Amino acid sequence: MSADRIIFWAFAIIFVLGGSLFTITRRNAVSAVMSLVATFFALAVVYVCLSAHFLAALQVLVYAGAIMTLFVFVVMVLNRDEMDPWARRGLLSRVLGIGLSSGGLVGLSFYLLDWKPEVTLGDLPGEWGGVASVGEVLFSDYLFPFEAISLLLLIAVIAAVVVARTPRQMQQLGLEESPPTAAEPSDAGSHP
Amino acid sequence: MDGNFPLYLIPLLPLAGAAINLGFGRRFGRLFVSMVGCGAVILAMLVAWKAAFVLHGEENLVLRSRFFEGDWFYATEGVDRYSIHIAPGLLLDRLSSLMTLVITTVGFLIHLYSTSYMEEDPGYHRFFGYLNLFTGAMLILVLGDSMPVTFVGWEGVGLCSYLLIGFWYTKDANAYAGRKAFIVNRVGDFGFLLGMFMVFSATGTLTYEDIAQPAAIHQLAQPFHWNAAYGTIAALCLFLGCTGKSAQIPLYIWLPDAMAGPTPVSALIHAATMVTAGVYLVARMHFVFALDPFVPALVASVGAVTALFAATMGLTARPIKKILAYSTVSQLGFMFIGVGTRAYSAGVFHLMTHAFFKAGLFLGAGSIMHALANEEDVMKMGGLARKMPITRWTFLIYCLAIAGIFPFAGFFSKDAILAGAFTFDYAVVPGWPHWLGHAIYGVGLVAAFCTAFYMFRAYFLVFHGTYRGEPEVLAHAHESPSAMTGPLVVLAIGSVVLGFLGIPRVGEHFAEWNFIDEWLPPGLHAAAEPEGGTVTVLMLVATAVAAGGIGLAWSFYGKGVSPTAEKLAASFRGLYKVLVNKYYVDELYDLVVVRPLRKTAWFLWRVVDAFLIDLVLVRGSAAVVDRVGRLLRYIQSGDVQRYVVAVVGGAAGLIILATWWGPYRSSKFQVDVSGNDVVVRAHAAEQPKETQGAPFDYTFDFGDGSEPVHQSSPVAVHRYEKLGEKEIVVSVDDPRWKTSSKTSHKVTVGPR
Amino acid sequence: MIPVQDFLVLGALLFALGVAGFIYRRNALIVLMSVELMLNAANLTLLAFARARQDVRFHVFAFMVIAIAAAEAAVGLAIVVGIFRNRHSVNLDELTLMKH
Repeated sequence: MSADRIIFWAFAIIFVLGGSLFTITRRNAVSAVMSLVATFFALAVVYVCLSAHFLAALQVLVYAGAIMTLFVFVVMVLNRDEMDPWARRGLLSRVLGIGLSSGGLVGLSFYLLDWKPEVTLGDLPGEWGGVASVGEVLFSDYLFPFEAISLLLLIAVIAAVVVARTPRQMQQLGLEESPPTAAEPSDAGSHP
Repeated sequence: MDGNFPLYLIPLLPLAGAAINLGFGRRFGRLFVSMVGCGAVILAMLVAWKAAFVLHGEENLVLRSRFFEGDWFYATEGVDRYSIHIAPGLLLDRLSSLMTLVITTVGFLIHLYSTSYMEEDPGYHRFFGYLNLFTGAMLILVLGDSMPVTFVGWEGVGLCSYLLIGFWYTKDANAYAGRKAFIVNRVGDFGFLLGMFMVFSATGTLTYEDIAQPAAIHQLAQPFHWNAAYGTIAALCLFLGCTGKSAQIPLYIWLPDAMAGPTPVSALIHAATMVTAGVYLVARMHFVFALDPFVPALVASVGAVTALFAATMGLTARPIKKILAYSTVSQLGFMFIGVGTRAYSAGVFHLMTHAFFKAGLFLGAGSIMHALANEEDVMKMGGLARKMPITRWTFLIYCLAIAGIFPFAGFFSKDAILAGAFTFDYAVVPGWPHWLGHAIYGVGLVAAFCTAFYMFRAYFLVFHGTYRGEPEVLAHAHESPSAMTGPLVVLAIGSVVLGFLGIPRVGEHFAEWNFIDEWLPPGLHAAAEPEGGTVTVLMLVATAVAAGGIGLAWSFYGKGVSPTAEKLAASFRGLYKVLVNKYYVDELYDLVVVRPLRKTAWFLWRVVDAFLIDLVLVRGSAAVVDRVGRLLRYIQSGDVQRYVVAVVGGAAGLIILATWWGPYRSSKFQVDVSGNDVVVRAHAAEQPKETQGAPFDYTFDFGDGSEPVHQSSPVAVHRYEKLGEKEIVVSVDDPRWKTSSKTSHKVTVGPR
Repeated sequence: MIPVQDFLVLGALLFALGVAGFIYRRNALIVLMSVELMLNAANLTLLAFARARQDVRFHVFAFMVIAIAAAEAAVGLAIVVGIFRNRHSVNLDELTLMKH
């Protein structure tokens, strides 16, 4: 095993896998978010290893910056520690699922590691993966999906506002005619 | 005049009457119903007479009418011959003209009679609606210019027959009789359909005029199967239809039961018109029936056997309508003798005269029953001559007519048939005895004797001797009103004079007197005419036989039931019983047809329907769904995370499947060593479809200093110069993915 | 030089961890984070193949994935907030409304 691989794996295990493991095991939601931020930063580094410079920057900006801020805000709104972080109901099926998923993926990993032939990576042009090369494709061949994605984001923002509203806020916005009398409209008992 | 004559009015008027009566009759009362019912028929009669006069003016004139231009439906399949174009057309030639006259005239009289006979019936409007509908359907049958149109009428009259037999449907027996008639007729209709198909498959057309063309006849004469021509099979199938509709052996069994209907119905449908449809069809399609001499021979034989068979059954029957029913079957047999011996005009002539006197007989019987509170048993009547003079005298005329006594109609028509049979030479039919005509004549004579006997038995039992029923019934006995006696008188006049339309040629005498023969086209004339002397002898014999029958009836029943008759019945108890039980034919049918059908139906009901379909399929499938649903309920927990487990499990399964069985494992290879030679087989020998056209490039480096081999085949063979341990490197380049993979494998080459 | 399959293996492991988090945790927030992990694993795999095929179009797809992840996070978090408002809990095993 060459030195760069050793360094790569050491970094990946500690930061990427370790960070994500922390994320899913922390009882405190803030710690989980912070671990996730670390994971994303580490992933940005991995992207750089793949010559995806533009995506690495985007990872830091959007994920670690914007999305995680959102998460932190929501954690602040809820602000509750979990007494019991693990779901206990249907434990058998959960164990089965974990076994299947991790088994399948770890098996796949071993298969990939066992992949004797070396996939040789050809030489890259210097600008490959940079803003210019990605942007060129993005604004030529994929202009329409790009614009569609922007529209999707707009819709998502509006949807988020509508879903997360309180009735009082909605009234203030003029989106609802009269204040609802019952505060719990979607109780389980009201369903057939 | 040809194209413009409103021929369609003839069937359309009664149909319109039926529509009005069935639709609004209940609301508008009896007078309205009678006006519409009788008016429609009388108008149709006038049109029919007018048409007949038009036809009379010109030889070979044929009237045609189309409701609308174009086809009812058509079906084409490639070849022209198999394209069906069926247009609703009417055709009036001299044959159908005669039929329309009989149907409308007799029909009108019976309508008129019914206004009085059915007066008290709550279903008055329904009755007239059905009668009109029947008249319309019968006229369509007669006037149709092609077999499908005739078939529409054929089915229409069958339907009306069913409806009218079961007119008093509240009584089980009536409904049963209606069903029986309908089902037995269905067998015959099936034959009609098959015959129609046969004709079509041979000639490609169904129009009578087209079938009569020489080319079509030639096609019909082509051999089909079983050494028979198309035409033969078609005629046999059609004849099956005729036996159903015209109550011949073997399908006659429905007609005696059909007497459950009101008496005018029996007169109109089951005596005068509908049952003669078979005779009409044979005459209409005589060119098909005459194609193979075997067919007319069969028709005549069936007719003769039926005539005798039914006549003997009439000997012992007691309900007056049953007697008349057997008489009808027997007379229809005579008509089939006529058309079977190719004396079509004689058959049609008898059809016409029979329509008059048999309708009269039924109406007379209705008049008697009307007077006697619906009593039917002749043994419970007697001595009614003075109470009902008009009925009595007209009845006597009808009886004389059917028996065939000289100036009455039956004498001429029956004589024409018997003469035709006597002179017909069956030598032309291979395998049939040439004396068959004589035999048929003999059978016909016996049947005629029986006819004379049982008709006068009925007459004497009803009108002579002393009354044998309940006295209080007799007290109410009276002559029927004029609406009933009027038609009786008209029909009686017809029964007397109509015979003179068909005076046979006796030698050189009366050469121009046979109006019927002259009226009908030459193709329908009797095949052979007897000598003048023979005619006279035949006439005398027939008259003697009829007179003998009448005399025997007088001696037995002239003054009530004579002891001789009872003694005779007692001494031939077995035969008598067989006759009373109608030869046990109904029982036979019950055993052979009805019971197996019931067993089958029971099986289908119990096993197939109740068990297989209801239990196994319907409830079984529901139970399976229910059980499976109960099981699946546990899966639907509502827990998103558990759902994800299923998704992940499926995905993992797919990954495992794709990794272990997928086609992309091109990098592994196997080496077979034998001596100096190695064979290297890379996997992915089967290249997946989507990569075809851009095959993998394989590079084999055998590790002995030789040049690496580049090729697109995954199998390589190499011979080593030196033995020892070698490292083989295989690299696979995927031009699509611009990737290459390399695998090495160490082998030892050397002797084992 | 780091071979491509190393990146693929890393992506697979990351994805497995994301799945585990999704399946095991009760907290809807953490479950959403697990979804983000899985999306990132997918992104990593996409970029690895981009490198292998030297095709920059994969980057465009990864870009789309990031955008969709942002939208998903926004809506998902809004739903979590809405649920919390209504039920005063974000425990997924108490939310079995999909049963009905």
